Amino acid sequence: MERFGEGYLEERKLVKRWSGPIPALVSLVITLAVFYLTWWIFQDPRGIMRMYTPYVGYMYCRWWLIMMIWMVYIFNFWPFRRKWLETTHPLIKGTIMTLISVVIMLALIKGFFEGLLGNYGLAYFNPEQLEKLPGVTSFFAIEYSALAILMFAAIASWLSPAWVVALEEAPWQKLTQPAKGLTILITTFFLSTVIYFVTMHPHMGILYHPWQYFTSIAPPYWEEFADTVSGNFHVSWIMCCTVVVWLVETIWERYPFNLIKNDWARRFACFFGIVAIALAMHFFLYFAQELTWGEAIRGTRRGFAPDWRWLHVGEMAIFFLVPALFLAFYCNNWPKKYSMPVNVLVRTAVTLAASIALYIFYYKTSHLFLGTQKGFSHPQQFPMIPMIWLINIWLVHHWFMDNWPAWKMVQKTADEIEADHAAKNAAIADIRITPKFGAGLAAGVVMGVAFYFITVWALPSIYAAIDINPGV
Amino acid sequence: MSDNMKRRDFLKGAATGVGVGLLGAMGLYSYSSQRTRHFPKAERKMTDIGVCKSVKVTNISETSWFDNATLMGDIKGAGGLLVNQYDYNWPPFGNGKGLGKGSYKEGIAQIKHLLPNRLDEAWEIISKNSVHPENAGGFAALLDVEEMNGNKRKFLLDVGWSYQWCDECFKREGIDKMLQNKEIEALFFSHEHFDHFWGLPVALKYDPEITIYIPEGFYPEGLQYIKDCGHKGKLITVKTGLEKLIPGMACYVFAIPIICRVYGELSLYFNVADKGLVSVTGCCHQGIIQFAETAYTEIKYENDKRHGIYGGLHISPFEDWDPKYDDLVISLGNYGFEHIGCNHCTGILCAKKFIEAGYPVVEGSARFRSKEKAYLGNGDTITFG
Repeated sequence: MERFGEGYLEERKLVKRWSGPIPALVSLVITLAVFYLTWWIFQDPRGIMRMYTPYVGYMYCRWWLIMMIWMVYIFNFWPFRRKWLETTHPLIKGTIMTLISVVIMLALIKGFFEGLLGNYGLAYFNPEQLEKLPGVTSFFAIEYSALAILMFAAIASWLSPAWVVALEEAPWQKLTQPAKGLTILITTFFLSTVIYFVTMHPHMGILYHPWQYFTSIAPPYWEEFADTVSGNFHVSWIMCCTVVVWLVETIWERYPFNLIKNDWARRFACFFGIVAIALAMHFFLYFAQELTWGEAIRGTRRGFAPDWRWLHVGEMAIFFLVPALFLAFYCNNWPKKYSMPVNVLVRTAVTLAASIALYIFYYKTSHLFLGTQKGFSHPQQFPMIPMIWLINIWLVHHWFMDNWPAWKMVQKTADEIEADHAAKNAAIADIRITPKFGAGLAAGVVMGVAFYFITVWALPSIYAAIDINPGV
Repeated sequence: MSDNMKRRDFLKGAATGVGVGLLGAMGLYSYSSQRTRHFPKAERKMTDIGVCKSVKVTNISETSWFDNATLMGDIKGAGGLLVNQYDYNWPPFGNGKGLGKGSYKEGIAQIKHLLPNRLDEAWEIISKNSVHPENAGGFAALLDVEEMNGNKRKFLLDVGWSYQWCDECFKREGIDKMLQNKEIEALFFSHEHFDHFWGLPVALKYDPEITIYIPEGFYPEGLQYIKDCGHKGKLITVKTGLEKLIPGMACYVFAIPIICRVYGELSLYFNVADKGLVSVTGCCHQGIIQFAETAYTEIKYENDKRHGIYGGLHISPFEDWDPKYDDLVISLGNYGFEHIGCNHCTGILCAKKFIEAGYPVVEGSARFRSKEKAYLGNGDTITFG
């Protein structure tokens, strides 16, 4: 039976063409060049298509990400046959699969959201319908509908990979493609719809005057807790969930959830563990802003507004994802020589340091070369867009093009695949819950808590010393 | 179990524990009420800016553009709100190349020789070369400050956009004569935006020597434009933070990025005798509540009372809406302002929401192309004190 691309990513061997860090650096230079060129063509406000308005550009950026996740993670490259994946030149593969992802994306945005939902269900998905509302200009009609469509993508970009990473495709893991892909797609799309309705629909409902009391919850249920009626409160934790799914899948190797032997216990622990970790990030990153900029003040604008602070949590979270994916895609998930928990800790520390450096670099310089506005809280300053655009390019490069040209793809032999599985199982088996492990765990918890409070104590002065940008 | 294995187990446990402890603390503590213990205790600086008897604001023009759809169509067509304002090809910097293909250098080259005195000729050239010159209006206000000894002082806040419209408005309110007679001692620019700043030659036509205050953050084109307009007086760049001006009057500069590649905003505080704080803004991109909170931490004012607001409050300038704007409508009542005179970028919808919420909005007369009485419109005045 044809396996299509099932297991393709795990079973391919990427062989470096040059030793040391050269392949990673070459890939970085090439992908950054493609990023900058495509940014100029599609997104840059000074460029050709100028889609960074910002929501139009962001909508395409997010849905393109989902398309690749669907094609690779949900459908396992179906309908491309395994032989075609193995033998076709990466440039041809990359071009064909990218074009297909774009065509499906356009069909979904224009056909499903704007055409079907926007014309026959929720008017705010279609800019032309929105423009019929007195006083709404074409510009904001397009922006608002793009916001609604992209928020759907934000939710889906957490749930779709989570079904594979956390729930391990269960209970449909034994289905063949395309039945498995379709089932997971429909399920996650349905769940995305439910979550969209309870998180973003009330936000969209109060975008218009008078508030849509009878079609959405207004004022929304999160008002008191979030200190705002804005749906950015949800954008925050949903973005964190999106980031944490990939941290779990890449630099954490699904640790520690992979220690749980019972299948369903492991799956649920991983799914809800991702949500819990995301909520921890969500609250901490908000607190970090309070520590550096002062307490948020409801009703104010920009840097002190709770709605912007929540949005900025999501923006900060995305900075973690970039170095994590670079480590996984181009550094072979370095380091690998220690035990799994130590490897995970080192990778997390490296990712953390790199993400802070990237954050500072971005806010100090991006306005000089991306055509964005200087400062943190400008309404058109969305670091999520360039970060995800870069990640999209890496996904094309890593998933569709096998890291060409700095790497060569060869198929692993059956023995190598077997050895990989054995090594993975051994790495998990290597973690024994012994009294010493328990003592280490307790000591680690104390250290983790201490590290947290040291960070909380030091953050204001560290932030003041760095002086990233005065434009809060 | 060997010692080495025990050590490794301990290390594995510790590595795991660090993550558990860190994430646990992040999740459980970060949004708890305990977190407020880490916030620095804000001490009010209570800077004394003096006190004045009254301040009267005359709205010369709040109509920065006449049609929202036209302005937003230009912005959309040129690539959005992040495009450099000098590149839209709006008046007075039209180079004839069309939307989004403007250039300060090419635009000013066509009219520089006519500034500031031959504005009719300049506008004729501008009208041919620019995108939608008929849509340009402008924001400008006259401030009459009465000192405690009865001495009266006049200041301009912003000068609008269109040469044609601003000259008409200046003449309507007698600003031309006041400038010619040197009655107006200084011109404050709230920020570098087209609708507040580009009408500068109209003011300079009547008084090229007027002292000009700008917030720090002007881009090179803006600084050059002040020179190219024929300014011969003092140019004072106000640094971020509080700057005392005359007794009872101070300005505050906020270092904030603004759409169309503009940076920094200057707004004014007045301390009116027996009444309290009066806030006067051009656009208030920093947010009116931020402006009020800044006053609370920075300055001392009568009765510790916030008395009035005048100006653009930058909430829904394009009549767009967003739930976060409702946060402002909900919260503004907590600040106790007794008179709210709002217009321009406040948004008509927002002004109506203020009225619905029962706030003390001072309504206008909807004259001279101001659209709604909910606004304190063109030619209307408000007096605090």
